[in-house]
Amino acid sequence: MSEANPKILGFLCNWCCYAAADAAGVSRYQYPPNIRTIRVMCTGRIDPAFILRGFSEGAAGIFAGG
Amino acid sequence: MGKAQNACAGSKSSEENRAGSVMVVGGGVAGIQTAMDLTDLGFYVYLVEKGPAIGGAMAQLDKTFPTNDCSL
Amino acid sequence: MDITRPIHIDYAQAVPATYYIDPDACLFLKHETCQICVPVCQSKAIDFSQKAEEKIYNVGAVIVSPGFGKISEEVLKQYGYGQHPDVVTSIEFERMTNASGPFQGELKCFNDGRHPKNLAFIQCVGSRDIGCDNGYCSGVCCMYAIKEAIVAKEHDPECEITIFYMDIRTQGKDFDQAKIKAENMGIKFVRAKVADVMNWGKQIKLTYSTMDGTHSFEPFDMVVLAVGLESPKDAKTIADIAGFELNQYDFCRTEEFDPLQTSKEGVFVVGAFQGPKDIPESVTQSSAAASLVSSLMKSKRGEGVILKEYPTEIPVGDDDEVRIGVFVCHCGINISSVVDVASVAKEAGKLGNVVYATESLYSCSQDAQEVLKERIKEHRLNRIVMTACSPRTHEPLFQETLKDAGLNRSLFEMVNIRDHCSWVHAQEPEAATAKSIDLVRMGVAKSRHNKPLLEQTVPVTKTALVLGGGLAGMTTALSIADQGYPVHLIERGATLGGNLANIKTTLRGESPAKLLKTLTAQIKKQKLVSVYLNSELETVSGFVGNFTSVIASGKTKKKKEVTIDHGVIVLATGGKEHRTKKFKLGTVKKVITQLELEAKLAGTGKNRAPDSVVMIQCAGSRGADLGYCSKVCCNQAVKNALKIKEINPESQVIVLYRDIRTYGFAEDQYKEAREKGVIFVPYKFAKKPKVLSGKTDVVEYFDPILQEQVTINPKLIVLSVGIVPEGTETLSKLLKAPVTADEFFLEAHVKLRPVELAVEGVYVCGLAHGPKPIDETIVQAQAAAAKASMPLVKGSAKVAPTVSVIDKETCIGCGICVSMCPYNAIKMLKIDKKRKAETVPASCKGCGICASRCPTFAIDMGGFTQDQVMAQIKAFGNIEEVV
Repeated sequence: MSEANPKILGFLCNWCCYAAADAAGVSRYQYPPNIRTIRVMCTGRIDPAFILRGFSEGAAGIFAGG
Repeated sequence: MGKAQNACAGSKSSEENRAGSVMVVGGGVAGIQTAMDLTDLGFYVYLVEKGPAIGGAMAQLDKTFPTNDCSL
Repeated sequence: MDITRPIHIDYAQAVPATYYIDPDACLFLKHETCQICVPVCQSKAIDFSQKAEEKIYNVGAVIVSPGFGKISEEVLKQYGYGQHPDVVTSIEFERMTNASGPFQGELKCFNDGRHPKNLAFIQCVGSRDIGCDNGYCSGVCCMYAIKEAIVAKEHDPECEITIFYMDIRTQGKDFDQAKIKAENMGIKFVRAKVADVMNWGKQIKLTYSTMDGTHSFEPFDMVVLAVGLESPKDAKTIADIAGFELNQYDFCRTEEFDPLQTSKEGVFVVGAFQGPKDIPESVTQSSAAASLVSSLMKSKRGEGVILKEYPTEIPVGDDDEVRIGVFVCHCGINISSVVDVASVAKEAGKLGNVVYATESLYSCSQDAQEVLKERIKEHRLNRIVMTACSPRTHEPLFQETLKDAGLNRSLFEMVNIRDHCSWVHAQEPEAATAKSIDLVRMGVAKSRHNKPLLEQTVPVTKTALVLGGGLAGMTTALSIADQGYPVHLIERGATLGGNLANIKTTLRGESPAKLLKTLTAQIKKQKLVSVYLNSELETVSGFVGNFTSVIASGKTKKKKEVTIDHGVIVLATGGKEHRTKKFKLGTVKKVITQLELEAKLAGTGKNRAPDSVVMIQCAGSRGADLGYCSKVCCNQAVKNALKIKEINPESQVIVLYRDIRTYGFAEDQYKEAREKGVIFVPYKFAKKPKVLSGKTDVVEYFDPILQEQVTINPKLIVLSVGIVPEGTETLSKLLKAPVTADEFFLEAHVKLRPVELAVEGVYVCGLAHGPKPIDETIVQAQAAAAKASMPLVKGSAKVAPTVSVIDKETCIGCGICVSMCPYNAIKMLKIDKKRKAETVPASCKGCGICASRCPTFAIDMGGFTQDQVMAQIKAFGNIEEVV
């Protein structure tokens, strides 16, 4: 991926951020398509190892939404 | 409402005769909630609605107080 | 407001979501022509030869819930409806602010499409109006008008909004907060009756007169009529068929102390047909009716129910080959108009372990479930990746299909390429397709590690604990016992009855003493109810189905403690009169409360109804001391005023009020009080009446008609002091159950779960939930009994498999997880003298905080394991690890 199109990895809490992402869809809000997301039941689930691994897999940024 | 009429008459020659069944007439929010609660309490429910879909007046509301949630 | 085709779905989320033909609009059904629809329907679903059938069902009970009717157009005409396009009803206005409404949620005038700059609401259209035979108050219009005004203001903050009203009746729980919010947003409230509505060019001119006698004219761009709730159109037909009586307004007639029982045995009424009411009260009545039926028919419980049977689960072991099936959904055009579904399915098919990949038009449709089941069989699939919409809404549906196909539901994975992709990247189809392919790869990677998880069930102790022996507690206890379950009823005081013992008569003239006597006798007779007097809850532990409580009885010195196991808890701890320090209550002898007046009037004292009485409403409530409306005081004042007039017709009774809130049919008594000469004088919060002491004790207030301060020296000054909850603070800490800012218990959902608390297995009713009159308390107590009986009927509680699992081998017993867990769901055990942690599955909410904090990686989360999430992250980096 080019610098202008950084790959972002997102961890979304099922109860809030994932729900908000659903709501964004229902309301047809448009946002850039360069995020890939993983659903978790709570951001408390995010092990520091997940974040390190994400960067090593080439993520330009990690987003934790909860 | 024709169905309810016969049910209340308690006709013996019934096509359906399910023990412990209850009839709820009207499929608005009150009717739906009653039907759901009755099944949770272990009864078979016939939910009768005049119109083509359940939901009643609440389905016409845009938002409800206080959270302004969508009412559907 | 818009054109509807003869064949349509009422609204996008209708259940069932099938098109139907409107018989009033169809050319064939009306004129026997057309029939174009028959050959064009591809699935041949239109059959005009179907006729209405009559079927006979034998049932044990009937519940009528036909809702409410519309206010007639004739009444609306008086307000210019039909004469100007921008005079609309509140129901129409509700549609206009909705995104699926005629202007896609934009607020526009029908006249010329301009945005309205000012807007008027006219209250009490078709309510409190003898002219149209609707003398009652509909009870909901003030609240919804405020809601609509707030929504309109949010659409366009520049829009000026005025609400013309007689009394603002926002007596519901926390409703006054909405009124205050509306005022702060700049919405104007004008106490005036609108006399005339006139076309004024593009605008509408309103003529109205205020209390001080001035007449005013004002033009508005749009006028919203806050229409009331009429009895349903077919009320008489339903009543005739079912054989019960109606009241004078064609609503269903019921008794105050048995509010849902119609005059016909076995037939119950719920919702607006019982009397105009809002959503939470309708929902509460629904549960209450379920409770009544459940008691009536308890011997038949479970007999007619068809239990769904599932095939035996196909075992999926660690060594079995992973065979993944990927289904990519078009969602009609919701996904396929943006994402190239065919290429997503093609790419998915190339992934390791994927043995089958396909597309589907609507994956959630009934026939698609059958296809899914067949494909599972045909290709021996043991993992399913559904690439469609949100698991939050659709996962349960597909998991059910998996169970039907004999697969464990945890072998299912969902990838959201609609809400998170096609809908939000509508302008970038290529990037959206690429994202979908990435997300599917990640989903497939996770699903390789999906394992069947056991759905655990825990047995339930089929006993209830009821706290509080007042009207609410007694009613709940009896109702649960009548349904066949043992109840422990705990009362702090020395006798049962609570506040009911203090109320002498009701507005409708019923005797609460009689009710109390009946209830007490019933409880004595009901062997399933054990009563504990002078007792309080000391401690409580456990979770839904398995609570253990310690009850302490007697005085501190001779305190006895008993331990009770029970499955559910109902909180009916009640409330009490609020003793205000304002208005010289307690210092001046002639200042008393409504409850004290009530006791006096019920007595035989000579001067119990003196020649002059001043009542001050909201002496405690609505911002005086308490932030909320106590709901019952207006009725109580009207009741006591009428009683005074009955004993001493010459007495001058003045009621100083802010808004008279005699909602529902109580409006009749308010009218009667005015006719009998009771004087009602409104005051503003900023200009409260005062009790002044000099040589004599006088009341000073501002008279809005005379427009001056008035001083009066009555024989009696009666305060409506309001209601406060009792002991909710301690209980809320014991049970971890939230309370509102006013310390009433906070329900799980104010509209749809009005008697349940956020803590599972704990329910609330009566004054502990909020101030309310006797009939509403009875209904709420019955509703709480229905909800509380549900886990008892089931006999077991299901626990979601997405909980934490602790490996005892790797656990070093450090206890970090125990201290981190927000739900007290991990406990420490001693195994072979070593400390080990263990999850309590029924309490675990699956957040995973323990797993991410465990220093030895001994904890994993069902459905979100280390392996699963890591595989997803690796797949994000395009690493594929086939298993």
